[in-house]
Amino acid sequence: MTPTPTRVLDGDRVTRVAWLPGNDRLVGECSCGATAEAGDPIHLQDWLLAHPDHPATVVEPDQETVEHVPPPHRVLHPWQAAGERRAVT
Amino acid sequence: MTSIVRDQWYVAAYGREIGSGPDREVFGRTICGESILFWRREDGVVTAMSDRCVHRRFPLSEKPSHLVGDTVVCGYHGFTYGADGTCVAVPGQTRVPRTARLKTYPVVEQDGFVWVFIGADEKAQSVPVPRAPWLDQEGYTTVSGMEPLAARASLLVDNLMDLSHETYLHGGYIGTPEVANTPITTEVDEDAQVVYVSRHMDDADCPPFYANSTGIQGRIVRWQDIEFHPPCLYLLHSRVAPVGVLPAEDGTDPGGFHVEVVYAITPETEHSTHDFWAVARDFALDDQGVSDYLAESNRTVVLQDVHALDALERVLAGEPDGYQELSINIDTGGLAARRIIAAQAAAGAERVPDSPAALSR
Repeated sequence: MTPTPTRVLDGDRVTRVAWLPGNDRLVGECSCGATAEAGDPIHLQDWLLAHPDHPATVVEPDQETVEHVPPPHRVLHPWQAAGERRAVT
Repeated sequence: MTSIVRDQWYVAAYGREIGSGPDREVFGRTICGESILFWRREDGVVTAMSDRCVHRRFPLSEKPSHLVGDTVVCGYHGFTYGADGTCVAVPGQTRVPRTARLKTYPVVEQDGFVWVFIGADEKAQSVPVPRAPWLDQEGYTTVSGMEPLAARASLLVDNLMDLSHETYLHGGYIGTPEVANTPITTEVDEDAQVVYVSRHMDDADCPPFYANSTGIQGRIVRWQDIEFHPPCLYLLHSRVAPVGVLPAEDGTDPGGFHVEVVYAITPETEHSTHDFWAVARDFALDDQGVSDYLAESNRTVVLQDVHALDALERVLAGEPDGYQELSINIDTGGLAARRIIAAQAAAGAERVPDSPAALSR
């Protein structure tokens, strides 16, 4: 069994995010020793950057109540149009 | 607002691109939106200055501009400049205008690369030049190249920081299912400004890139350890070995094959990039067939990236602001790199890395 990647960086201000084997969860560890678990890297990064005032837990996107409406992808120029631009006969 | 980080060293060229000895000649390349002329003095030292004659803006890298001793002569009207950028002669008169001077750039030739400092010259001394020692080191054999990318540098950073794309974009070359399916560990050193992403695969298919170069038959242990020094230098420490073959407890690794894959990500303009790539190996050192294979294979992989990122740039270039991306676990390292680069862009070189040198394995 290959060892889990060991800690490589040894500075005074190193943060670490490990992806828990066997599931989709991430564990973040701040240089101060605080740890938190999350399901999304952006929210976990925000939590790490809050040092030294880490919130008690990471806000999970699934917990947010804002309804998401997928936007259309708008195209401004012909050269960005999807597919080949050619006549159909 | 520019996305290009200033007050940083960037790879401008391979040393071999800038002619020496009897092959000395002028060489032009745009780095971070600045058109720069490179040439070697007669003692072999590379010098860099603005690639526009002060007279009528003729490119000094354009023939019939040429070198005479340690001067460069503009091919249009003969304005002549020394290695310090000072104009030493103009046609038809003895008085040289006081303002006839080219901007010069700090330059360092190291590890096979020519590095140029983009930003305030006085800061160059305090910003160490990143290292990629394997490219010019006994015990390694290196193949290398550069491909122009019609896409912003940040797209190449995203690409390289998340190697799960190998499974899909580079299948049949370096990608196998295990790459995308193996979790990563991400470390960020805020002081040294290094992002380190590890993906260690215990039991993986051996892609042709490694099977054909190492001769390993069957499945492999495959380690990918990314060490990124934003904004320019990307190092991938790659180790492959037959399944079950691990380094010894004392750190030696006689059963492993090591490949150091180096990328220098140099913005040409806001929307184009010089994609320097190099592959250094510690096995089959004298086997030209292996060198040829790795050079051709890695170039193929790079061109697959170029094709994809050029398409992505075309999409993004005219896209209105405000489109939202979606990031998942595989993006952890890329997000960290983006954050550091954004901070560097905002702060210039006010921060100085404690130790930007490549980490020993």
